Amino acid sequence: MDEEQPQGIVLTEAQKKKRRERSIAIAVALGILVVLFFAVTLVKGPAVLNRPM
Amino acid sequence: MSIVDNHSLALPPRISEAGVGDYIALLKPRVMSLVVFTALVGLLIAPGHVHPVLAITSILCIAVGAGASGALNMWYDADIDALMSRTAKRPVPTGRVTPQEALTFGLILSFFSVVTLGILVNWVAGALLAFTIFFYAVVYTMWLKRWTAQNIVIGGAAGALPPVVAWAAATGSLSVEPILLFLIIFFWTPPHFWALALFRSDDYARAGVPMLPVVAGPDATRLQILLYTIVLVAVAAAPWALGYFSAVYGVSSLVLGGWMLLLAINVYRRREGAPAVRAARQLFGFSLIYLFALFAILLLEVVVAAVLAQFG
Repeated sequence: MDEEQPQGIVLTEAQKKKRRERSIAIAVALGILVVLFFAVTLVKGPAVLNRPM
Repeated sequence: MSIVDNHSLALPPRISEAGVGDYIALLKPRVMSLVVFTALVGLLIAPGHVHPVLAITSILCIAVGAGASGALNMWYDADIDALMSRTAKRPVPTGRVTPQEALTFGLILSFFSVVTLGILVNWVAGALLAFTIFFYAVVYTMWLKRWTAQNIVIGGAAGALPPVVAWAAATGSLSVEPILLFLIIFFWTPPHFWALALFRSDDYARAGVPMLPVVAGPDATRLQILLYTIVLVAVAAAPWALGYFSAVYGVSSLVLGGWMLLLAINVYRRREGAPAVRAARQLFGFSLIYLFALFAILLLEVVVAAVLAQFG
């Protein structure tokens, strides 16, 4: 049986590599955000909900 | 089906090949480094103790907010960036990042920087950061930059706000000291950018940006540079004269200001050929050192006072 032809948009190796780099950068940025919120919660304790205007 | 529909169907989908470096370039890292430094000084000279985690959070949010402003600026200005040699290699004019991607990136970072600063630190700082981004992206980039020769004078307020935001992050309020820091950067901006515009006026003229040398001519610009530098030297010494900072800062500001003034006089006097270009380049280069040195002295004063309080 013949190999199935890929349907739709096929990314080149360069495009796949760049997409992977961008995905990792987004993951790192989200990770930093999570760590930041966690650390501030530890620092402020219950006062984390006290946000003066 | 119309011809237009046929053409739209025939277009191949655009697959992004933008790398992480292109997105970092959208953040204008060199501008960001100055923002981070001035904000750090604003944060550290503020009274009271700021927990290191909150300090890092504040500086990070201010840095990301500044980067978001840069991305929004590059999205809107892609057409004129393409015409200027200094900016033609930026990610949007070269096509590595589409305008839509730059806009989305800028808006997302603006949202997260403001909301994170507001939730984790305080909403005075969050609101000030939102105002700073709005002022740079909308008031300066979309309105003033293409409309008036006073673009960088008024728009300079956006670049002057980071130490104010940082002070607000540390204290939850505002005071005279951050306003003095604001005024120093505000009056520093015109001589700095007009010195650049003097030796890049062809670029700005080609792009149709009404910078002062393009609109009023180089001689009028030289006079304005001199006048603003005189005001800058006085404003930079004001924190010492008003008793907010020590004599070390006061004397340093006068020495550095005197040097800056000499270079501004040099720009005013040398009006033709290579010496004129050299004078403008010297003033531009020194203006960066001047601002960095002024804020570094303030930082040093705080560090020395903290060390003396610890061991004295």
